[in-house]
Amino acid sequence: MIQLAYPLALLSLLAVPLILALHLLRPRRRTVVLSTTTLWQAALQDRERGIGFRRLLRNISLLLLLASALVLGLALGGPEWLTRASESADTVLVLDVSASMKTRSDGGKTRFDLALAEAEAIVDGLSREGRMLVMTSGRKAVLRTGFEANHEGLRRVLTQLRPGDEVGRPGEALALALSLLRNRENGRIYFLTDGAFDADVDPGSPKVVFRIVGAPARNVAITRFDFRQEVANDERFQVLMTVRNYTDAPVVAPASVSLDEGVLFKRSLELAAHAEQTLVLPFRGRARGKAVARIDVDDDLAADNQAFAAVNVVDPLRVLLFTRGNFFLESVLSALPNLDLVKRDWSPSEDIARLARIHDVVVFDGIAAPELPAGNFLLVNTVAPGLPFSDAGQVRRPGILGPGPSALMRDVDLSAVRIDQARRVVIDQPVQGLQRLFWSPETALALALLDENLKLVYLGFDLAQSNFPLQAAFPLFFSQSLEWLRPLGSSFAATHIAAGSTYTIQVPSIATQVIMRMPSGYAETRVVEGDSLLFDATTDAGIYRYNVGGVARYFAVSLNDTRESDVNTRWTPSERRVQIQPASSGAQALRPLWPYLLLLALVLLTLEWYVWTRSHGSV
Amino acid sequence: MAMNPLDASAVRDLVFDDEFLRKLERLELLARKIFRGLLRGEHTTSRRGRGLEFSDFRHYRTGDDFRHIDWNIYSRLDQLFLKLHASEEDVTLHLLVDTSASMGFGEPSKFVYARRLAAALAYIALHNLDRVGVSAFAEGLGAALPPIKARHHMARLLAYLRDLPCTGATRFGTALRTFATRTRNPGLVILISDLLGAVDRLDGIEALRHGGHDVVVIQLLAESEIDPPLDGALRLVDGETGDELDVTVDQELRRLYQRHLEGYLQEVERFCRQRGVEYLRASTAIAFEDVVLKYLRQGTHLR
Repeated sequence: MIQLAYPLALLSLLAVPLILALHLLRPRRRTVVLSTTTLWQAALQDRERGIGFRRLLRNISLLLLLASALVLGLALGGPEWLTRASESADTVLVLDVSASMKTRSDGGKTRFDLALAEAEAIVDGLSREGRMLVMTSGRKAVLRTGFEANHEGLRRVLTQLRPGDEVGRPGEALALALSLLRNRENGRIYFLTDGAFDADVDPGSPKVVFRIVGAPARNVAITRFDFRQEVANDERFQVLMTVRNYTDAPVVAPASVSLDEGVLFKRSLELAAHAEQTLVLPFRGRARGKAVARIDVDDDLAADNQAFAAVNVVDPLRVLLFTRGNFFLESVLSALPNLDLVKRDWSPSEDIARLARIHDVVVFDGIAAPELPAGNFLLVNTVAPGLPFSDAGQVRRPGILGPGPSALMRDVDLSAVRIDQARRVVIDQPVQGLQRLFWSPETALALALLDENLKLVYLGFDLAQSNFPLQAAFPLFFSQSLEWLRPLGSSFAATHIAAGSTYTIQVPSIATQVIMRMPSGYAETRVVEGDSLLFDATTDAGIYRYNVGGVARYFAVSLNDTRESDVNTRWTPSERRVQIQPASSGAQALRPLWPYLLLLALVLLTLEWYVWTRSHGSV
Repeated sequence: MAMNPLDASAVRDLVFDDEFLRKLERLELLARKIFRGLLRGEHTTSRRGRGLEFSDFRHYRTGDDFRHIDWNIYSRLDQLFLKLHASEEDVTLHLLVDTSASMGFGEPSKFVYARRLAAALAYIALHNLDRVGVSAFAEGLGAALPPIKARHHMARLLAYLRDLPCTGATRFGTALRTFATRTRNPGLVILISDLLGAVDRLDGIEALRHGGHDVVVIQLLAESEIDPPLDGALRLVDGETGDELDVTVDQELRRLYQRHLEGYLQEVERFCRQRGVEYLRASTAIAFEDVVLKYLRQGTHLR
């Protein structure tokens, strides 16, 4: 039994009357008898020789008829087009927004401008149902859209993108893009970049199409900028600054460093081609404020011609005190400058680790301490389990020996200190990092322990049972102990981070929001849930100001990256550089073609009729 | 006033009105050459010695008539010269009428036109006491009317013309060579034809010249051949050969046709002039009387 796969194809029979009509409409030849046709024949031959176009028209007529027959034959064959369903007709567009994309290129445009133009061309080339996801590749890979078929929306998103001052990590972006296309066989990833990265970035996937934009450029960059305090000298500082010449010619780069608008120094650096120079410049005085390093050169990338540091913005020492009440201890902690004191009488032992993370120092005063997690601790008249020393009873009126050579005991005079009763501790095993601060013949009265994740100061007697709080050594001892326990880097903060990285802002428990002000002047308020705020909108270099709990603080963001500043060395994936073309569609599907072929045949026949009429004149 | 010798019932389509015939009588048919006539007529011939009009001198040769020796010259030069006189003789007019099928085209048809023209020329010749013979040709030489001289034979001539068929292809070369071979008395040959359709048409004219005839070619063309009113997709059928040609006639093709026609006509005219053949071209659109009374008089044979 004959079945019709496409019953609708019978509609093509409607073409029969149309063909008949066309046939009937064709002009018929009229017979004319002449005295002779010799001259007409000569004229005709003359015309055929001289007028190639008419001959061409006649051939076109034949060709059109042949093409019509061919197309109709194909249509009868029921061809089907193996195509892809729209679900995997997806493209991921990765736009490099690293600092090197700010490099000026041809015609004054930046590399990012060129990449954006390429991106728009790719969007234009998408099929109507083609979807695209836009992501940026800086220090982090950021998804800017989902898979969108709204091409206008995609263009709108593209216009809002701009490069930052951050280091590019294209490997992460490409890995993310590939993961997004993991289950789509024919998805495509376009990575629009300037190639200022290492060759191992290429994941080797055929889905990834690199589009390298921009031309080689000239650049001189500050690749390192830092402040540091000289050892054991609070008043002497050093400025560290490295400038590198990435050009092929020597460069003279006037360099300067200013602190709170006051110029610390100016130097003119003479840099040979591809050479770098590091300055270590000492200075004495108060090192506090917003520091900016600049080089005054006319190169193609301005982002690395300056670097920033927020110097000596010291955070208050956050101290958590567990005590049932200790007048002397509370008094001295409250009296020490730049110290936030929080007092508790108890916390669950499982909460200690969290508390130790959010406080610089945790003090246990006469309270049984749990096993100590990582952190900084001050134990007063108590011993925690798990330490290399343990409680072994009491000692009455120990005679104080020492103090030892530790920095914590500097200027601490214990000669007048009397202790009625002290804890006896025994050191279970000698541990490197355990140091006696002062002691008696019977036991160690004060110890300092510096372990991998633990810093601890132990004071082995009740302050109330001694006259230590009445001595001048008492605040000195606690001040120096807390200073020693202060986390590294917080005592002298030349706080600067790499652009694009996350900055952790510790927030006191009383504060619920942080007001951020960007280098551009734009300010925003962020609500804090917890004891810290992770701030990652640091793509632009400069000084970031934030206000938390009424206290203004700063941190600086700089590029400071030798690889990113090397805008002249570029990786070119020549073997896989392909032309822009929209990604093919995904899941396979069969689409019948005969309707299109039938339509084409009708068009061809109509065209043939027109050509024939034109070439044969009218009656 | 001359008597109208025509029988209206016999030559219905060849009737000339009296005024036209009077005009014909005023014409005088001339021949540029002096032909040897069978009878003395009003034309000088190349035959010298018997006429009254002095022609030339020549040296005496043995056998010459002593009566023609110029004794005055002998007395002065002591040499014998003969004094030649051109004799005046009648001229034989040969009318060659093309009766091929191609002559049947045009409005009026070239064939009718040719017969009227032949009749008129014959009338003029007879009026001037010349001999007139008519031959028809197509694929070959057809039936001929032997030369007649008396004007009362005009009706016979017209009847002959009336009964001519118009059919067949044209074979100029064959027909005219046959005519040249058969005709003993060279005379004035007036060829009336459209000169279309024959590949050897010019060979026939050449054959007439070689036969010693003084040749006049009158080419008749229908107006539809000069400016064909054709347009569009047509199947052209050759009236003589039956060959078919599919063409789409447009302005451009018409222009090319006319260019070829003009080239052909110039070729024929050039051919004739180079050989001393008088060539006249006439369109059937031109009034017959005008052709006879004006156009033919522009030539050298009619005045």
